[in-house]
Amino acid sequence: MKKFFVKILGNEKRQAITIPLFSILISLIVGMILIAALGKNPFTAYLNLLQGSGLFPKPKYSAYQGMLTDFTSFLNMMTPMLFASLAVAVALKAGLFNIGVSGQMLTAGFIASVTVGYSQLVAPVAKPLVLIIGILAGALVGCLIGFLKYKFNINEVVSSIMLNYIAQYLFSFFINTRYIDDISRQSIAVKEASRLTLLKTPIGNLKVDLPLGIILAIIIAIGIKFLLDRTRLGYEIKTVGSNREAARYAGINVGKTMVLSMVLSGALAGLAGVTYYLGYVQSIQPKVLASTGFDAIAVALLGNSNPIGIIFSSFLITAVTKGSGYMNSASGIETEIASVITGLILLFSACGAFLRHLVKRWKTEIEEQEQTRKESK
Amino acid sequence: MSEQYIVEMRNITKRFPGITANDNVTIQIKKGEIYALLGENGAGKSTLMSMLFGMYEPDEGEIYIRGQKVNISSPNHATKLNIGMVHQHFKLVSNYTIGENIIMGMEPTKKFLGLFPMVDLKKANQEIRDLSIQYGLEVDPTQLIENVNVSIQQRVEILKMLYREAEILIFDEPTAVLTPQEIEFLLKIIKGLRDNGKTIILITHKLEEIKQVADRCAILNRGKLIDVLDVKTTSTKEMANLMVGREVSFTTNKKPAQFKDVILEVKDLCVKNQDNFEVVKHASFSIHGGEIFAIAGVSGNGQVEIADAIAGLTKVSNGNIFLNGVDITNYSIRKRTLEGISYIPEDRQVYGLVLDFSLKDNIALKTYYQEPFSSKHGILNQAKFEEYGNKLIERYDIRSSQGTMTQVRSMSGGNQQKAIIGREIELQSPLMIFVQPTRGLDIGAIENIHKQIIAERDKGKAILLISLELDEIMNCADTIGVIYNGELQKIAPAASLTTNQVGEFMMGVKNK
Repeated sequence: MKKFFVKILGNEKRQAITIPLFSILISLIVGMILIAALGKNPFTAYLNLLQGSGLFPKPKYSAYQGMLTDFTSFLNMMTPMLFASLAVAVALKAGLFNIGVSGQMLTAGFIASVTVGYSQLVAPVAKPLVLIIGILAGALVGCLIGFLKYKFNINEVVSSIMLNYIAQYLFSFFINTRYIDDISRQSIAVKEASRLTLLKTPIGNLKVDLPLGIILAIIIAIGIKFLLDRTRLGYEIKTVGSNREAARYAGINVGKTMVLSMVLSGALAGLAGVTYYLGYVQSIQPKVLASTGFDAIAVALLGNSNPIGIIFSSFLITAVTKGSGYMNSASGIETEIASVITGLILLFSACGAFLRHLVKRWKTEIEEQEQTRKESK
Repeated sequence: MSEQYIVEMRNITKRFPGITANDNVTIQIKKGEIYALLGENGAGKSTLMSMLFGMYEPDEGEIYIRGQKVNISSPNHATKLNIGMVHQHFKLVSNYTIGENIIMGMEPTKKFLGLFPMVDLKKANQEIRDLSIQYGLEVDPTQLIENVNVSIQQRVEILKMLYREAEILIFDEPTAVLTPQEIEFLLKIIKGLRDNGKTIILITHKLEEIKQVADRCAILNRGKLIDVLDVKTTSTKEMANLMVGREVSFTTNKKPAQFKDVILEVKDLCVKNQDNFEVVKHASFSIHGGEIFAIAGVSGNGQVEIADAIAGLTKVSNGNIFLNGVDITNYSIRKRTLEGISYIPEDRQVYGLVLDFSLKDNIALKTYYQEPFSSKHGILNQAKFEEYGNKLIERYDIRSSQGTMTQVRSMSGGNQQKAIIGREIELQSPLMIFVQPTRGLDIGAIENIHKQIIAERDKGKAILLISLELDEIMNCADTIGVIYNGELQKIAPAASLTTNQVGEFMMGVKNK
C-alpha cells in the first residue's frame, strides 16, 4: 500500500503536479460518497456537472442551444475568475495578501461603466477603452494599498478590507442616486458596444455568448508566468515575497517592489472587474460585492500561485459551480452540494504539504527496510 | 555512590549534521552548589543543558537525577523533575502580565459561583508577591511584560522556575543582556538561591562571574570536557588558558601582511537601535588593502551593528563612512555593493540566502540585475544563471543533491556558507565584511574559510572580520579592535596582543 503511494507520488520533481491531482481525486471521491449518501447516483451527478459546463453533450437541447452554448457561457464565467485568481497570485508571490480583489473589481467595473458603458462610443473604441480603464482603476487601488503598506506599514489585509467597504457603499450611493434601473433595482445595463461578451451571437444554428476576455486572460496568464520566471521584476517580487530581509540585503528596493506588485495585482483585479461587470453581467447590483474576488483566493492557492496552474484550477472550480445548475435540474441535487464539493477540493488541496511529508517519510521507511534486507543477506 | 550527586550526566554524546556538539561528556553536580559551565561559543554548553532540560535527547549516554536514571523527553518532564531553565532568549508573552506569564501552564483555578472553573489570578498574584519577596526578586505581577526592562523580565523567568518548585536551576548566559549593576544584583540573587538549598548550573563564558559565585567549574572546548576545577583554588588566568588554549589549534599559514592604501575609513560612527539606544558609540578605524581588521567582543556589544552600518542595512546616527575616499554614508545598499562592498552576514539563513530559492538563484542574488544575467529590458537569461551557478559550484566546492536546481533550504550549513562566500568573493569588491563566517561549521569547513579570507587579503582586499571566536581572530587578524559596550576599547596590531589581553579588553577593562 505504502509502496504504491510512494511509487505514484514519490518523484519529487513531478510532485508539483501529482500531489494536487491526487488531492483533487480524493476530494472527488469523498464528494461521491456524500452524493451517494443523499441517495443519488454520484456518477450521473458528476456527468451533469460536465454537461452543465458544456464539456459533455446533454441528452437534449432547446432551440438555438447546444454544447457550444454551454461551453462559451462557462468560459464567460471563468474569465473574471481567472483574472481575479492571477491578481491574488501575483500579490502572494510578493508575500502580500490581496483580499480586496472584489473591491478592486467593483471599482474598475463601476468606473468603466459610467465612463464608457453609458457613452455613445462605437465598439472598436469602447471595448479597448473599457479594458484600459479597468486596468488603470484597479492598479490605482492596488497602488494605494501598496503605498499604505510601504509608507505607513499598514497591513494590506486591513486596508484592502476597508477599501472593499468603501467601494461597496460609495458606488452603491452613486448607483442608487444616478444610475438605477427602476425595474431591476440594479444599475442600468451598459451599452452593447462596451460589452466584453458578445451576447447571442449566431454560430451555425446556435446562438452563443462569446466572451472575448478569455483569450486575453489566457495570454495574460502566460505573460504573468513569463514575468515571474524570466524577468528582473519577477525575480525581485519573488525574492521580496520569500525573504524580505535577504531582499533588502541584496540591495532590492523592497518598498518599491511591494508597491509595484500591488499595482500589478490591482490591474489584474481591474481586468477581472470589467470582464465581470461589463461581460459576465451587464449591470451592477448595489451593496453587493462579487464573490469571485474571494473565491479567487482559494483558486489561486489550489493552483499553487502558479499562473499556468491557475488556468486549470479556475477551470475546475468554475466547472463545478457552473455545472451545479444543470445537476440540480437533471438529478435533483441541490446546487449547494456543488459548493460542498468545491470546499472539499480546497480542503484536500490544503493538505498537500502534509501529503508530501507523508510520502517522504514512507519513502525513507521503505528505503531503510530494503537496506536492512540487503544487509541481512 | 551516585547518591551524593543531584545531577549526573554520564558519557553524553550529541551529534548534529556536520558537527559533534558533545563528545563523551560526563558531569556530576552536587546538591546545593553553583556549578559553572565555561567555554567559548559553540563549545557545547547550551546543547548539554538543553538535553538536561529535555529539549534534545542525547545520542549516547545516560542522565541520572537524584540517583535515578531518567529519560527526559520534554521540558514538561524536566519541570516535573524540578529542573528549571532560564534561556538566553527569554520565553515570555509580551502582552501578558508578569503574573500571567509566571502561572502559564499551571494556572490555579477556582470555581466561579461554585460552577464555572476560572483562573484565580488574585491568588496567583499574591503567591507571586510572596515568592518574590522571599527571594529578593521584587516584581509587580500586574504589569505587562512589554512595559518592563530586560532585567525585570529575567526576574520573571527566575520566578517562573521558582513557582514551578524547581530545585535545579539552569541559567543560560544570564548576564549577556544586563548592565554591570544588574549583573551584580543577579549574582547576589544566584548566591541567595544557593543558600536556600537550590542547585545552580551557570552557563557562561565570562570568567569574572564564575570566580565571583561558582563553586566548581567544568570547562568545555569543541564539545569535549577539558577539566573540572575547584574555582577557589584556580586563578582566572588558568581558566582562560584552559578555555581557549589547550586544543589542537588549526594554525593557518599566513604570509606577513602587505598593507596598501586605506580602503575603508570609518569616522566617529554612532548607531542607534530600534529603542533609540546607542549601540555603537563613536567608533573610528580604518582598514588598508591587504589587511585583515578583526573586531573582537562578546556577543551583542555593537559589532554586528558596525558591519550593518557599513553595508547600509542600518542607519547611521552620526559619523561618516568612506570607501576608497568616497563618502558612502548615505548611499543605498545596492549602490554600496556597486561601489565595492561584499558582505557575508551573521545570519546566513535570514539575510544571506533565500532558502526557498534554488542554488543558482541564490548565487546570482547580487548580480541578477546586471548583464549578462539580465538584458537591458529586464529579461533574465536563465542559461547564464545556470552557467554561473555551475562555475561557482565547481570553484568553491559547493555540494548539493541536485546541482544548481537544489533548493538551498535542503543544503547543509557549511555548503550554504560556501555558496554565500563564493558569491561575495566573485563580486571582486575591494572591501569584504565577514561576520561570524564560521558559525556552526565543522573544523574542516572553518579551516577552508580561513584560507579563503587570507587569500583575499593577499589579493589586496581590505577585510573586516567580526567574530565571537577569539581563536578565529587570533588566527586571522593583522589588526585587532576590541569592542565593549559599543565602544572600541583598543585597536592594535595583532602581534602585539595576547589572547588573554584581548579577553580582558572584551570584558571591559579599560586601556591604562
